[in-house]
Amino acid sequence: MNKPHAPFILMLEEVNKNFEGYKAISNLTFYMDEGELRVIIGPNGAGKSTMLDLITGRTKPDNGRIEFGKDTDLTRLNEYQINRLGIGRKFQTPSVYIDHTVSENIWLSLKGTRAVWRTLFARVSPGERDRIQDVLKTVGLSKKAEWKAGALSHGQKQWLEIGMLLAQDPKLLLVDEPAAGMTDEETHKTGDLLLSLEGKHSIVVIEHDMTFVRQLARKVTVLHQGTVLCEGSVDKVQNDDRVIEVYLGKKRKRK
Amino acid sequence: METGRIVFHSKPQPGLKHMQRADFKKFENWGVVLAAAILLVALPYLNAFTPESSFLHVSNFTINLYGKYLCYAILAISVDLLWGYVGLLSLGQALYFSLGGYMMGMYLMRMIGDLGQYHKAIPDFLVFLGWTTLPTFWKPFSSLPFALMMACLLPGLLALLFGFLAFRSRIRGVYFSILTQALTYGACLLFFRNSLLLGGNNGFTDFKFILGYDLRSPTTQRALYIATVVALLMVYGVCRWLNTTKFGLVQRAIRDSENRVLFSGYAAGNYKLFAYVIAALIASLGGILYVPQVGIINPSEMAPDKSLEAVVWVAVGGRGTLIGPVLGALIVNALKSWATRAYPDMWLMFLGALFVLVTLFMPKGLVGLASQLRAVKERVLRKRQSVNKEMPPAEMPPATAAENNLAK
Amino acid sequence: MNVRLPFILVVACLACLTRFASAAPAAADAQVRTNLAAAVLANGEEQQKMLIDLANTGSKIVREVLVGWPRDQVIVYESTNGKLPAVLEDEVDADGKARAIRIDNGDFLKDDKGDILHLSPTDVTPAESDAALRSTIQKALDILALSAPDPDARRAAVQKLGNSARESNLQVLKLRLEKEHDSAVIKSIHEATALLELGSADPARQISAIKNLAKLDSIGSLDTLKRLANSKTNAPVAEAARGAVNSIEQHISAINIFGTLFRGLSLGSILLIVALGLAITFGLMGVINMAHGEMIAIGAYTCYVIQNLFGSGFGFSIILPFHFGSHPISFGLHLPGLNATGLLYESYFLFAIPLSFIVAAIAGLVIERAVIRFLYRRPLESLLATWGISLIMQQLFRMVFGANNVQVNSPSWLQGHFDIRDLILGYNRIFVIGFAVMIVAGTWLLLTKTPLGLLIRAVMQNRGMASCIGVRTDRVNMLTFAFGSGLAGLAGAFLSQIGNVGPSLGQTYIVDSFMTVVVGGVGSIVGTVWSAVGIGTGDQILQQVSGSPVTGKIVMLIIIILFLQWKPGGLFSIRSRSLD
Repeated sequence: MNKPHAPFILMLEEVNKNFEGYKAISNLTFYMDEGELRVIIGPNGAGKSTMLDLITGRTKPDNGRIEFGKDTDLTRLNEYQINRLGIGRKFQTPSVYIDHTVSENIWLSLKGTRAVWRTLFARVSPGERDRIQDVLKTVGLSKKAEWKAGALSHGQKQWLEIGMLLAQDPKLLLVDEPAAGMTDEETHKTGDLLLSLEGKHSIVVIEHDMTFVRQLARKVTVLHQGTVLCEGSVDKVQNDDRVIEVYLGKKRKRK
Repeated sequence: METGRIVFHSKPQPGLKHMQRADFKKFENWGVVLAAAILLVALPYLNAFTPESSFLHVSNFTINLYGKYLCYAILAISVDLLWGYVGLLSLGQALYFSLGGYMMGMYLMRMIGDLGQYHKAIPDFLVFLGWTTLPTFWKPFSSLPFALMMACLLPGLLALLFGFLAFRSRIRGVYFSILTQALTYGACLLFFRNSLLLGGNNGFTDFKFILGYDLRSPTTQRALYIATVVALLMVYGVCRWLNTTKFGLVQRAIRDSENRVLFSGYAAGNYKLFAYVIAALIASLGGILYVPQVGIINPSEMAPDKSLEAVVWVAVGGRGTLIGPVLGALIVNALKSWATRAYPDMWLMFLGALFVLVTLFMPKGLVGLASQLRAVKERVLRKRQSVNKEMPPAEMPPATAAENNLAK
Repeated sequence: MNVRLPFILVVACLACLTRFASAAPAAADAQVRTNLAAAVLANGEEQQKMLIDLANTGSKIVREVLVGWPRDQVIVYESTNGKLPAVLEDEVDADGKARAIRIDNGDFLKDDKGDILHLSPTDVTPAESDAALRSTIQKALDILALSAPDPDARRAAVQKLGNSARESNLQVLKLRLEKEHDSAVIKSIHEATALLELGSADPARQISAIKNLAKLDSIGSLDTLKRLANSKTNAPVAEAARGAVNSIEQHISAINIFGTLFRGLSLGSILLIVALGLAITFGLMGVINMAHGEMIAIGAYTCYVIQNLFGSGFGFSIILPFHFGSHPISFGLHLPGLNATGLLYESYFLFAIPLSFIVAAIAGLVIERAVIRFLYRRPLESLLATWGISLIMQQLFRMVFGANNVQVNSPSWLQGHFDIRDLILGYNRIFVIGFAVMIVAGTWLLLTKTPLGLLIRAVMQNRGMASCIGVRTDRVNMLTFAFGSGLAGLAGAFLSQIGNVGPSLGQTYIVDSFMTVVVGGVGSIVGTVWSAVGIGTGDQILQQVSGSPVTGKIVMLIIIILFLQWKPGGLFSIRSRSLD
């Protein structure tokens, strides 16, 4: 594994994490360039979600280094501090505020102050209003701006959550299985959306769906038993013997 | 009560839930105005200016009783602010209620002067414990402003400290409930001790004056009652305003998806802490008004049962709304007053059964009963329809692909 | 559980322990009687010496006479053959006359014709007794007590002599020491001897006595030693006394520490049994059962009912405040009792233990079916609904058993205690600790070695999957909840032996047991065990240190809250990989 040229946006070195004797992550080393769109695949239990948990401060590693940008140690920070650095995360199951309207969901996610006192007197500024409309347009929910988020379909909730991520304007997006539960057409559109974000944001996508992975057609990292098994283009990865053995060989395409 | 500040489309919004909310809001507004008029104007007027023989007359007893219920209503709002809006079930709100009450009680004890049983310048229980002079910490309580300040500071600081520790270590759900219960239990044990110099298990009673007025005179009681109504309306107004702010949005967002809030950069713990302290202050306000009207405060007000009872009021009335807790507090306590007189032995059974039934069959409480019934009716209708026409039930507007244009 | 076997064992043990009075050698008795008769008639110092010698024989006859003497029951009958000393019987006939027993041969006093004499107390001459004689009699009685058959009585007598501050008693103790076999009594004799020696005028003897007392850890002599330590008459003696006081006080604090640990351990055991049930129901079903405390009360009341069924029977009647026509609705129940006594009655607790489990388990089953099964995945609401149930049950207890505490007697085989170097270990507490160990072991076996345990763990880990592969999760929930409730019932049975049984019994323990589960880590049996033992002992230690149970409890609560800062998930948290 070659250390990429600086500036890299995300770096994990020799990271380990045990859960009650179960080694979820072992000696994981992972680098990512700024502006890169990276896809992470791997069989169930490979440690994909745990890796995101470690990056976002949800769980703390047993040892190893996790750094963001230039020398920002993420292991000492908690979730919201890490988020404020510019790392956004989309969960596997859509997590939106079901009792709020779609636009309120976006409003709460917009960049800006998070201090308790300020929120008491905050109003929607004209700038924020435009920004909300932009985001809603991007994710195609303009017409449902005043709907309760709870009334959206599963796929729409996924998009809303992506929209909430975009509203934060993060430097790094961590997207966990965005296409889960979507129709083929919706999946395709999600792929296009992610591709359109490439360059402006650095993006990590975790995915099972190989059609979707091929659509993104970017550098793929294969995780297996908590460590990086193989890294490279989709074709390279799909032809790798080890990958075929642990993953593709047994399970073709969708799990 | 949802914020209406971000409006992009003027056309009516789809969604059954939304329609009901609007109906309910209109109902709530009128209801509040009407209730305020009755409680604030009609009852005191009928009490003061009608002869006792008139059938319209409201007795002093009733005014006093309603004053007590409304204090409970304030406590109920404090429970609901946490449970209904942040998703934190605090089983220790009666602690803050009692702390406020105790601070007020200390002032009222000082106002007894030397009219106590022992005719000494210090409270009777201190004489009984062998004190001849007033302990230092009692001295400033001769001043009502000081007592009121302490009634804010003590519960506020305690809530700040406990909340800080609890939310820092991410204690939530039933763990939070259990810990708050332990907190009030511990405080209850502490206040039972005589060595705390706060009256031990007898607490404070036999009050005589407040601000120089005789506490037992109907006029003073009426004034206290009016103050309680005003306080309740203020608390209601503040909470209602709070829920329309961005803070309110974050609060409810925490209730629905705390992870999303955290991963959106909000320090959820701070928001919870703020809400917890506000709720403690509200509860304390209820206690401050409760003590002069009821005339007694003792550690049993802090017993875990009292806090749980307050939760019952909220559950019965309907959590997540602001009139629910008020309704619940009034109805359950009226029921209690009746039941403890008519069937003294059975009251606890009533209360217990009420709680079981409400949790099982009325998760949204009285306020949500209408929409619950409507939902049942609709389900029945829909079933009949689908049986008749063998058509799939009409659901939410289907999310078609055409609607979901993805910008590229 | 097989209740017959322990029962039979107890019977067998008691049979072995039963004493058979041994017949005293007749010859020795005759000699004692002759001497005793002579002593009654003797005078002055000679009489006193004779009495003390007689007391040293330890004979029962001597005791009877000496007890009756100061009460004027010992008479001197002037017969034709001379003076005959005798003892009047307590029993009097219609004329107020009593028979008398001759001291010299134990026969009734007869007249010349051989008929039994009936004497009026006014007619007879009581044996003389002046102040000096009375004090000698008292002394002789004390010496006699030294040879009482019961070791505890002998110890009491020894201690009395030790505190008498009369050097003359040294000789008596020395005589007794030669005959004594019981180690506890021997220790007491040494202690008493040393205590008496303290009063000696010779400083060397005093110091050696002080050293002996220190060696014996004599708590009883602490006050005397303190007085000596503060006296200024003799510096070396005071110095030695200070040393002894220190060493004895250390001994006392050691006893206190071990006593505290022991009480803490037994309290922890009860908490453990309670919290184990709670941990299982919460770990499995996510249900916080606020009525768990009432399950404890059910167990305790079951003991009470069983006890009464073994005794005079049990009954209650409830008059409801509702009327049917003009008749109040009421119902009641009366169960006749076995009127058992002795051993059978004492064994009621052996039946009560399994029954308290069964009754509480059935109650748990009913609650689960009626309410809780509708509230899975709504933990906060299950907490509220079960609180409602707890209120109803408390009221039911009040109606059936009354608002006051009821009396549950400990069987005699739980009442005694071990005594290890002044450390008192009550049988009831030892029993509770032992049982807690068995229950934990049993629960562990149930969860890990039985098919039900496998199902329980499967449902615990993944309800949906378990149900998909055909586990009847409904039934598993039901059984688990019943099991957890049953454990609470067991805890109640033990609590009835240690504390009061009343309608609000459960409330006293519920907060503690919740804390135990939270500290231990929900769903972790090991965590629950450690946290129960920790909280139980911590509570007792804090009570000891702070001098007040309330302060101890409050400090414990604060410690628990701070502990959760350090380990929010409890001691053994089940950490989960998945996020939502």
